[in-house]
Amino acid sequence: MINFEEELKKFHLSLEIEEAEDALYRKRLTDIADLVVELVKEAKEEESEN
Amino acid sequence: MRCFNCGCNLTEQDFCTNCGVDVNNYKLVVSASNIYYNDGLERAKVRDLTGAVISLRQCLKLNKNHVDARNLLGLIYFEMGEGVQALNEWVISKNLRSKKNIAGDYLNLIQSNPGKLDALNAAIKKFNQALTYCYQGSLDLAVIQLKKVLSMNPSYVQAHLLLALLYLKSEEWTKAKKEVEKVLKIDTNNITALRYLQEVKRVLGEDEGVKGGGKSRNTAKAAAEKLTKISEESFQYQSGNETIIQPLNAMEKKSVHSIWNIVIGIVLGIAAAWFLILPAKIQNEKAVANDELRKVGEQLDVKAATINELESKVKILEKETQNLQGQLEGFVGSGGTMEDVEYLLQATSQFLEDPTATEEIAGFLEKINPASLTENSSPSFRGLYQLLLEQVGAEMASSFYEEGRKAYQNNDFEIAVEQLKKAVTYDPKNQDAYLNLANSYRKMEKLTEAAEVYGKIIELFPGTDLANRAQSYLNEITP
Repeated sequence: MINFEEELKKFHLSLEIEEAEDALYRKRLTDIADLVVELVKEAKEEESEN
Repeated sequence: MRCFNCGCNLTEQDFCTNCGVDVNNYKLVVSASNIYYNDGLERAKVRDLTGAVISLRQCLKLNKNHVDARNLLGLIYFEMGEGVQALNEWVISKNLRSKKNIAGDYLNLIQSNPGKLDALNAAIKKFNQALTYCYQGSLDLAVIQLKKVLSMNPSYVQAHLLLALLYLKSEEWTKAKKEVEKVLKIDTNNITALRYLQEVKRVLGEDEGVKGGGKSRNTAKAAAEKLTKISEESFQYQSGNETIIQPLNAMEKKSVHSIWNIVIGIVLGIAAAWFLILPAKIQNEKAVANDELRKVGEQLDVKAATINELESKVKILEKETQNLQGQLEGFVGSGGTMEDVEYLLQATSQFLEDPTATEEIAGFLEKINPASLTENSSPSFRGLYQLLLEQVGAEMASSFYEEGRKAYQNNDFEIAVEQLKKAVTYDPKNQDAYLNLANSYRKMEKLTEAAEVYGKIIELFPGTDLANRAQSYLNEITP
């Protein structure tokens, strides 16, 4: 049985053209590769300190 | 694949041959992202757009620089009606790789057609408005808005789904099913659409065939094959765990019932028109007729009032006419002013012709009504009359006196009175005429008239012998 209220919560307002630029700036572009690179760099720095 | 540290091309080694940095984990991550991209591409090829979006997002979470994945994700968003999200992906992609990037072509294509972009944006705005209506409980408005959205952008999956949900809410199952089927044509494995379809089929009694999107038709076929004709009058089929036996003539009965229902419906319709619409129409016509009648009545009242007014005016005019007629008669008729004037003119004419013809002149003057010689009459008229009277009065008086006296002596008192009255009229100083007149009355035993004339003699000639004689006679006749 479909619960209308619950289903309605799953719908969200779509981005309009005027909001696209702000959304673009707000977008987090950090990926796993960044994290891996960060981790590798940190590990390298620790090695050099030791 | 390039080294994240120096940008040099990587080899099969777990480290960069140029800068020596460990790239083992980095390679794993990039490899995993490629796997997701491939999965997304495969799903997109079979129009499993939801699955493709999930895989491509995973790909980009692992490797944000995966330009192909980002371009494909934008394309899928665009196909699902999410134009702005598509633009976002393509703009990022274009920034990551400015040359030899198909995202640039996509962006140019959209920018060169501003009408299309405006339509996309308008559709998005209307969708947001519809969603707001839903939150506010104005579901009818939301449905109208969503229909507009879909007329502008028929591939807008979210709009189709929301419209389907609204139809489900209003229990318009067929419409909901149509919307869901449209979604499934765009996105064959849309989980929400499949759930809605399952709900619709459950309600419509088709739930046994719904185990997955594409399986329903096959299951229906299988169910149809299970139909078994068990006799001439009935057949049976399997529905879940139940065996249903249905008589063959059920459809026929149904159609007969339908015809009866239509006939009854028509009869009821005619009855409703007869009992509800017709009386209202008659009432309306009556009201119009009454209104007309009232207007005519008002006009009649106005006309009746006008007639009364005119009648009273006619009466007044008739009275005025009568008065004027009377006045005219007074002037023109017998004894009227005009007649008196005529006599006076004749007398004048006669006097001018023959001044000695006193008898004829006197005859005309006698005919003049004494009432017309009052102060109301014209001064010229009175002046002329007096002038003629002075000219002929004395002779006339003498003539009348002689006639009167003779009649008196002959005891013809009637004639005597008549002639003597004229004599005193034309000569008021004739004492004998007065005395003979009074005596004539007395001898005729008209004592009142006699006393009146005796009184006049006493008044006009006081202290004279005549007055004494008059007094003596007066004393005799008065008690």
